[in-house]
Amino acid sequence: MSPGSVIGRGAVVRGNVRGEGSLEILGRVEGDVNVSGDVVLGESGVVRGNVSGVELSIAGTVQGDLRGSQSVLLERGARVVGDLSAPRIGVAQGALVRGTVRTDGEPALAGAARRGAQLHAPRPAPAAAPPKPFVVKEAPKPLVSEEPEAEAPKPEAKHEPKPEKEKESSPRERERPPAPVVPALGKGAKAKKKRREA
Amino acid sequence: MAGTVIGEGLSIEGDLTSDEEVVVHGTVRGKLTTSDAVTVGGTGSVQADVSGSSVSIAGQVTGDVTAQERIDLQAGGRLVGDVKASRFTIADGASFKGNVDMEM
Repeated sequence: MSPGSVIGRGAVVRGNVRGEGSLEILGRVEGDVNVSGDVVLGESGVVRGNVSGVELSIAGTVQGDLRGSQSVLLERGARVVGDLSAPRIGVAQGALVRGTVRTDGEPALAGAARRGAQLHAPRPAPAAAPPKPFVVKEAPKPLVSEEPEAEAPKPEAKHEPKPEKEKESSPRERERPPAPVVPALGKGAKAKKKRREA
Repeated sequence: MAGTVIGEGLSIEGDLTSDEEVVVHGTVRGKLTTSDAVTVGGTGSVQADVSGSSVSIAGQVTGDVTAQERIDLQAGGRLVGDVKASRFTIADGASFKGNVDMEM
């Protein structure tokens, strides 16, 4: 292909730079850089926008995200405010980064999202469960609205789903239910309980 | 080595301003301004107003071209737009459409 492209020290680009081949930036780019080859940002280089390429070598200033399909390397003197993502990321001593650094790019993102969903999903269930025991045995109604799938099995086995939930959240429930019983113990108990809740 | 080189296959959409030489083998859409020389190579395509100290065109330029010193439209070059420079040459085999203003 052609010899690589260079945006010279005294050059300013206001707009997007994209295309094939490698690119060396010694000047200033105010816009996105999207190249199918390597990107070298010299010490004098400044980019305000996202940069994507195969291997990014950054020694200048970037205000935007860096995405390398192979690697992102921040050299000494680099100043980056933005996220880094690439299978391989290197940050040299003396480089400045403010942003999220993520290796492996999008696959890791998807995995993290799943993990996040798993963490969040179980929380609503135990949170909803504790109030039900307090409402005595007439609680099943909210259950119907919350879990339409559970409607069918209910007439056959009303008691079965409840014990399961109690087992699931039993440690938390046992810690909480005793609290209402406490007032019988003494005068200061309610105040102490309120302090704890507050 | 020229200050700025836009390689073949690379395109800039927006303004390019420089105080160094600019060589275009790729594409520039928008505006191209420098206080030094501008060279548009055979594979270069510029859809922008071009301004420089001297401008040499071997590729395609669509837009007005202004030079402080001279403009050379080389063989194979193609220019559509108005030209403003004190010296202007059109080589044999070049194509040109536009007005010429050789300010005195």
